[in-house]
Amino acid sequence: MAEKTYLQAISDGLRLQMRHDKRVFLIGEDIGVYGGAFKVTQGFQEEFGPWRVLDAPLSETAIVGGATGAAMMGLRPVAEMQFADFISCAWDHLVTIAAKQHWRAGTPVPITVRLPSGGGFSGGPFHSQNPESSFAHIPGLKCVCPATPEDAKGLIISAIEDPNPVLFFEHKHLYRRIKGEVPEERYSTPIGVARIHQPGDDVTIVTWGAMVYTAAEAAAKIDDLSVEIIDLRTIMPWDKDAVLASVRKTSKVIVLHEDTRTGGFGAEIAATIAEEAFEHLDAPPKRITAPDTPVPFAPALEEAFLPQVADIVAGLRELASY
Amino acid sequence: MAAGTVVEVVMPQMGVSVSEGTVTRWLRNVGDTIEADQPLLEISTDKVDTEVPSPGSGVLQEILVQEGETVPVGTLVGRIGTAPAGTPEPEPKQEPARAEPEPEALRTEPEPEDDDEYEEAAPTPRQPVAPAGAGNGAGERHTFVSPVVARIATEHGIDASTLTGTGRDGRVTKKDILGFVESGGGAPEAPPEPKPAVSLPPPLPAEPAAPEPSTPPSTPATRTPAPTATQPVELERGETLEPITAMRRGIADHMRRSLDTAAHVTSAIEVDMSKVVAIRERLKAEFAASYDVNPTYLSFIARAAVETLREWPLVGAELRGESIVTRNYVNLGFAVALDGGRGLIVPVLKHAEGLNLLGMARGVADLAERARTKKLLPDDVQGGTFTITNPGSYGTFMGTPIINQPQTAILGTYAVVKRPWVITDDAGKDAIAIRPMMNLTLTYDHRLVDGAYGAQFLRDLAARLQSWGEADY
Amino acid sequence: MSIARVAEPSGSLQEAKEWGLDREDLLGIYRSLLLTRGVEERGQILYRQGKIPGSFYTGRGNEASAVAVATAMARDDVGTPLHRNMGVHIVRGVEPWRILANYMGRADGPAKGKDGNVHMADQNLGLVAMVSHLPAMLPVAVGCALAFRIREEKRVAVTWFGEGSSARGDAHEGMNFAAVRQLPVVFICDNNGWAYSTPTHLEYAVEHLADRAAAYGFEGVVVDGTDALAVYREAKRAIEKARQGGGPTLIESVTLRMEGHAVHDDASYVPKELFEEWAKRDPIERYRRWLLEHTDFTDEEEDEIVNYVKRHLNEALERAEASPEPDPGTLLEGVYAEPEELDHPHHM
Repeated sequence: MAEKTYLQAISDGLRLQMRHDKRVFLIGEDIGVYGGAFKVTQGFQEEFGPWRVLDAPLSETAIVGGATGAAMMGLRPVAEMQFADFISCAWDHLVTIAAKQHWRAGTPVPITVRLPSGGGFSGGPFHSQNPESSFAHIPGLKCVCPATPEDAKGLIISAIEDPNPVLFFEHKHLYRRIKGEVPEERYSTPIGVARIHQPGDDVTIVTWGAMVYTAAEAAAKIDDLSVEIIDLRTIMPWDKDAVLASVRKTSKVIVLHEDTRTGGFGAEIAATIAEEAFEHLDAPPKRITAPDTPVPFAPALEEAFLPQVADIVAGLRELASY
Repeated sequence: MAAGTVVEVVMPQMGVSVSEGTVTRWLRNVGDTIEADQPLLEISTDKVDTEVPSPGSGVLQEILVQEGETVPVGTLVGRIGTAPAGTPEPEPKQEPARAEPEPEALRTEPEPEDDDEYEEAAPTPRQPVAPAGAGNGAGERHTFVSPVVARIATEHGIDASTLTGTGRDGRVTKKDILGFVESGGGAPEAPPEPKPAVSLPPPLPAEPAAPEPSTPPSTPATRTPAPTATQPVELERGETLEPITAMRRGIADHMRRSLDTAAHVTSAIEVDMSKVVAIRERLKAEFAASYDVNPTYLSFIARAAVETLREWPLVGAELRGESIVTRNYVNLGFAVALDGGRGLIVPVLKHAEGLNLLGMARGVADLAERARTKKLLPDDVQGGTFTITNPGSYGTFMGTPIINQPQTAILGTYAVVKRPWVITDDAGKDAIAIRPMMNLTLTYDHRLVDGAYGAQFLRDLAARLQSWGEADY
Repeated sequence: MSIARVAEPSGSLQEAKEWGLDREDLLGIYRSLLLTRGVEERGQILYRQGKIPGSFYTGRGNEASAVAVATAMARDDVGTPLHRNMGVHIVRGVEPWRILANYMGRADGPAKGKDGNVHMADQNLGLVAMVSHLPAMLPVAVGCALAFRIREEKRVAVTWFGEGSSARGDAHEGMNFAAVRQLPVVFICDNNGWAYSTPTHLEYAVEHLADRAAAYGFEGVVVDGTDALAVYREAKRAIEKARQGGGPTLIESVTLRMEGHAVHDDASYVPKELFEEWAKRDPIERYRRWLLEHTDFTDEEEDEIVNYVKRHLNEALERAEASPEPDPGTLLEGVYAEPEELDHPHHM
């Protein structure tokens, strides 16, 4: 075990998997010589060579479409979008071909797309988004959102090994701020399985990504409330059983995400809770999310946009007294 | 093509958004032969005009859509027979008939036609219960019951609205009801802040946590100690073993105690119910239409009994220690048998002395319904002063019910049976008539009520029933 | 102002031999041409009989180009043919009955009813199933070529697009990436004059689309798409160049789309004279005349081929019509792949 940052853990996972499986190669902008905009792949081209760490032209279509074709031919590409926001430039190949090729033509497309996502540092509307709900909605894709360094490493490895297109949402704001114990060896974390970040009896918070930490901070502020925090880790397919079991226990639930409210993945979770755990609810399921706007730039505006500790504390108190 | 088949010609869909086509020209007539793929007809759509090649070889048997007609895509426009004698189309598969689901028999529902099913009296606890708020909560009460609270309430036969809630606006929370259930094992005294304890087993305790009927310490009788479960029981061949439920234990204890306490005596009388029968016939339609209520025999008997108790108050009294307690009210209990021999419950119609026939019928129906749907409040099964039971529900004409402690008497009703009966007309002549006859028994505690007293009660009760007037209500 | 090289028309039998085609191969091309057209004509009939749901597209007039390019591909090369390239499926070995079954949405079509038209491919035969968003297959083919380059395999990816779809960014991004990395991919642009009802002058402003290749840094060639052997020669040249590490080529194959965009379109916007003119240049007839002129093509040989094709297609029809409808219970299957599927590599 060693203490690593969230970013180092991702880097570690990638490196170990590339050493383990020669079919894995990386393609993205500025990932080779420059080591990546966030330095996730620093030193990789030196170790694996220019044909396994490819500096792509500024061409998300070529990156994702190219990865798709290479995967069909038996390789295991890991494509990087420099920012998750740029996935919209590659939407077509992801959704039209990668997501559907197995269902309609029997061809697996084992690609991984790494998506540095999330805000909190004045990245503005085009460098801060959390687009996971759009892709959770497309049959054939998988979406993972690790929160801890240990999960980040295990999930990048699982994503690469999965025979389906997996979108790996790595939260930029956690890159260097979060450290944790990470096993040294190569290991995989199962996709589709949630983790209890902290157990509790009175209220459940279902969340993922950076919001896990915001939730924990909020829970710590209320002494007389026992809060259970579920880190989903995977959005699609999501661990419904874990969530429903927790709701049956506490009967009060908050679904929390950094993404905007309407049609955010929290809506799917809340609807499922209402449908399948109705008789276990002692209060309506509550969503705490960003509002329905693009991500603002100025710090004062961004603070009003992102769910804050105070928002979650208020939500917890409201549910507790319902 | 298989020999002897009919090939269907359909209007094709010439484009994804096209929904209909027009037959412009048939290139063959009925009776003509045609080869597969040869043009058979011409059609026009809003996208394109085209020929339709024949889907089969044979003879054009039928033209179903004429030139100039426009039909939806997929419509059968013609038929080609591929042999002189076409094989008939196979019969369409019959859908298997769906069995109508049997409506569940609700055996706890009192049958409207005959007398309600009453069995031996169920035990009523000594301990009175004060439900919190008891319906007279101060000011606005938040009566919303959340799904989980509703479910727990149903499972335990509790009316959540009687509980104190600590949630917003006094809402009963999950914690509140779970706390109530857990502490419902029978508190010895009512707590100063009334937290309701269920003292009667709910009609059908589903949870093993359902509280057993409490025996208050002040009761002189001893309770049969519960059998220690650790004794292994030897079984003979052919014997099966099952433990008794909490409810059955309660009933067993009460029955024993009652017999040990009261000096049981039973008197009986025969009642000519013809007047009641006639009036009931007349009232049935009216009551159903106007009030949606059935004027059962029980309601007539109850009405008459309540009147008669006014004149013979000891029958509705109580021996308390060295004192006799009489009342100016009647809380009338009705024994209700539960499904499958599981046990008994005796819901109580409070202040029945103030009810007329309609009120009695309604009250009984309401209690029976709530007993059946497990919606009885703790209050509904306590405080009775007199009980009516129906040992005659299966046709028996005589019985010896056990008194419902701490009451003094219990009235038994029996089957109404048509019998030959001697009647005396106004001229004093005797004749034999067919009369609907019913027996009534009064089982009473001879410590308090003597034979003559009890018999007179019965005489007057019978007289009321036999002389029920058109105008009586 | 043209930049691309204009290909010479096909020459003698000797030239064909130099490019690797013996007489056997040449007759085989003729058979493939007849099968290609025959499958599509049968499909037309089936559609008009109401037996094919949805829409129906043909590549009438493009048979020679499709067959020729496919003939120039090696066994281990892969291709991403489109809806006017039925000849590619035929040459690579997809059985006509399965093509007809796919048209009809039956369970035995390569798409098993989940996709229709020519949105099918047998990956075991080195073909990747197309999508509707064109030219999305271009970057995918470039990705296949990337895999070959990474693994240092001597394999080539061939990909098709129409002159209409050349207007989209996928064409640019695919070609640019291929050129930057000198990937072993050949781009075939089927320029058939019309993108639905849109003529070429509303799709691009250069004289030849092949001229754009130079802008990306590789060679572009314009060839008469009705001349099977000329197309074959250019395709062979480009594919072998790519195989030897010479990078991509863009081949623009010029024909006229002889039918509507789909069978429900009567193409009344195309001037009648164009159809008349190009009818005279029917690629199959043209090739037949070449065979007669250069290879002593006999009546017996021709009859044998024609009868074979007829018989084969009739059998194909019967077998396709006997194929069952897909079971609705299979609808939810296959959304995700299982790890075991990657243990059995397709034709890779």
